[in-house]
Amino acid sequence: MSSLTFTHEMFRKYYAEDFPLNTSVPFIEKREFGFALFENQMVRHKSFRSIEEVKFFLQSFVPCDVYFSCAYYENPTAEMERKNWLGADLIFDIDADHIPTPCERIHDRWVCGNCGFVGRGVMPERCPLCSGEKLSAETWPCEVCLEAAKIEAIKLLDVLQDDFGFSKSELRVFFSGHRGYHVHVECEAVKALDSMARKEIVDYVSGLGLETSLPHVKERSFKKRFPLETVKSFSFGWSRRLTDGLQTFLSSVKEDDLRKLGFRKDAVNVIMQRKDGILRDLYNSGMVHTVRGVGLKTWEKLVKHIATLQSVKIDTVVTTDVHRLIRMPETLNSKTGFKKADVQISAIDDFDPFRDAIAFRKGMVKVRVLDVPKFRIGDETFGPYRDRKVELPTAAALLLVCKGRAEVVENV
Amino acid sequence: MQTATIKFTKNDLAKYPFLKEAADYVKTLELKIEDLASPEFSQILERAKERVEEAILYTIVSRKLQNEEVEILSFPTATMLAAATENSFIKRRYALAEAKQTYNDLKFEPRAKILAIAENFQWKILTVNAEEAAAPYEFKLHFTNYLKNTTSLRERKWKLVNRPLTHGNVYLTKNETARLLSEEVRRHIEKRLEIKELPKLPQKITETAETLKSLTIEKIGKAEIEGIPKTVNKEAFPPCITALYEAASKGRHISHIARFTLTTFLVNIGMPTENIVDLFRASSDFNERLTRYQVEHIAGERGSRTRYKPPKCQTLQTHGVCTNPDTQCKEKTHHPLVYYRKRIRDLK
Ligand code: SF4
Ligand SMILES: [Zn+2]
Ligand SMILES: [Zn+2]
Repeated sequence: MSSLTFTHEMFRKYYAEDFPLNTSVPFIEKREFGFALFENQMVRHKSFRSIEEVKFFLQSFVPCDVYFSCAYYENPTAEMERKNWLGADLIFDIDADHIPTPCERIHDRWVCGNCGFVGRGVMPERCPLCSGEKLSAETWPCEVCLEAAKIEAIKLLDVLQDDFGFSKSELRVFFSGHRGYHVHVECEAVKALDSMARKEIVDYVSGLGLETSLPHVKERSFKKRFPLETVKSFSFGWSRRLTDGLQTFLSSVKEDDLRKLGFRKDAVNVIMQRKDGILRDLYNSGMVHTVRGVGLKTWEKLVKHIATLQSVKIDTVVTTDVHRLIRMPETLNSKTGFKKADVQISAIDDFDPFRDAIAFRKGMVKVRVLDVPKFRIGDETFGPYRDRKVELPTAAALLLVCKGRAEVVENV
Repeated sequence: MQTATIKFTKNDLAKYPFLKEAADYVKTLELKIEDLASPEFSQILERAKERVEEAILYTIVSRKLQNEEVEILSFPTATMLAAATENSFIKRRYALAEAKQTYNDLKFEPRAKILAIAENFQWKILTVNAEEAAAPYEFKLHFTNYLKNTTSLRERKWKLVNRPLTHGNVYLTKNETARLLSEEVRRHIEKRLEIKELPKLPQKITETAETLKSLTIEKIGKAEIEGIPKTVNKEAFPPCITALYEAASKGRHISHIARFTLTTFLVNIGMPTENIVDLFRASSDFNERLTRYQVEHIAGERGSRTRYKPPKCQTLQTHGVCTNPDTQCKEKTHHPLVYYRKRIRDLK
């Protein structure tokens, strides 16, 4: 059995036997569906009246990836210009690719499409071997990266609930099935927002354009430019986020951290010495008072740094695109064989993608592994493997095959 | 919390003739378009013409409240006149001018009146409680209404990220609320002016519309409605475009939005499709047919037949396409095409 046949067969089995009919797709009949097929084809402009119809399609055609539009259309099957857009959910995509992590150098590979050379870490512009430019990155869904993505998702949920006032029932969170999380906002209020309005929401969430010139510094010579500063009692939104962030940062700060931010030595010393006082002020009044020896520029740099820490790293393009196709919940991701799995907001801390997004729990498969870092499925860890034949549980084998890091061995 | 229980007076309707109540009032009079050309209504047509003239000349429409009836009726008439000019400059200018005057009036209205007018536009708005100790803020507006009316405002203070936002509401001073409400009015009037097909208008109206058009050309000049010179001057490119142009001609991979920005920009400054397709030839995944198709599509030569514009600077910033903005960018630019046009003028 070839690897492709194996994957195809597993996907077919999933859609025929396990795909849940209670998957919620509000206004299903108004959405466009799109499918990537194993034969390297994309089918778009499909529409269905019910989840049963979708399931029937899935088990008949067994696509490798399934998408639906965040948009609602009057004619979902028409070509783009004639669809007649009625509105769209507000979508956020958090992907480890947009978050710097220390481990990406270790597990990410790139391959030259020309000569097949394989390198590690950050992808260069040209292949060092043949100077070819057709390089493609091969990432890995690693625990550290996924944890980093989850933290961003939690930050995002905080912004969406506290600042934007969305209730839990209007928010849905999913593990993407690969390297990140999706947050869907489904409610009447956001439907009509145009791309520009969504862009402002993106900027809010990611802190772009945030006026960081000292919201809380109190001294006559300091200009009061930050709008939040005018109301002392306001402790919410970015004002709270900056204050909280500054508190967390300062309470555990080391000299080294400050030096890395490029502060001068005397400024570093003063901050370290006066740290407790600054924290007390922050705690009592939510403000920072002027500290001798720490100039305005230094403060601003610090606040900027806090703003970066507190900003949510999202893929900006996804949110602003009001026609976007996104992966359908409970379908399989062809990059891993994992499901796009529902995440309970109240239990997001306990969500474990390597346990909760597994689609296959039975059987063993023999594979020849080319090269793979240590990984975990459920409670079992595997690898690292290199050029080895191993027998693995179906989900583990499928993951490696989907990532192109293993081949199914014939006649198991 | 306060909800609007206020009833608009006739004076209010004269001041804010775009209100639903004003339209209802006009409806009760059962006027027909033809009536407007008749002598009894000459006063109304005169005032309507004056409204549009003031808009063209001073970008503001004064209020003449002595004769409320005329004032109320002259608004829909002026709207019709502006529409009849079929001139997008006049239409935009008229909407803006009415909105400006609205702002001037709203600023001095009591809270309850502002609230009532806001609710006329289905705003989700509340007044701030005393217990919230939120002075100077007086209103809380749902962020969706806020965004609809701020995305075209360029000052940094209007960026949502710089506003107090909680539970979905943006805190606003009275003045700011008035400003956003006037923006809503501007959009409302612009929408009314969008009518694709005009009804058959009496000659007097079309003549007046013609007069207004000549006035515009005489006072404003063609410059405002000018196109961009057809020769492409790379020296006038803004930094973002220069970088993208470089990258594309060297065949480096550029993101989808970057490609879109570059193509739309070049299309809009009049670079021929052929040359644009050539530019992308260096790219490793170049596909002539596909590239040509995309460029033609963007140029409006195919499909939807609309010519796409490059995104605004703000959008480009969001997606990381704006790299190295220079001093001219920082001063006044909000759009790469505006940068280019100004630069072309300066280079002359
Ligand atoms: S400010 Fe605008 S024109 Fe200038 S580089 Fe940025 S995007 Fe380009
Ligand atoms: Zn190579
Ligand atoms: Zn990692």
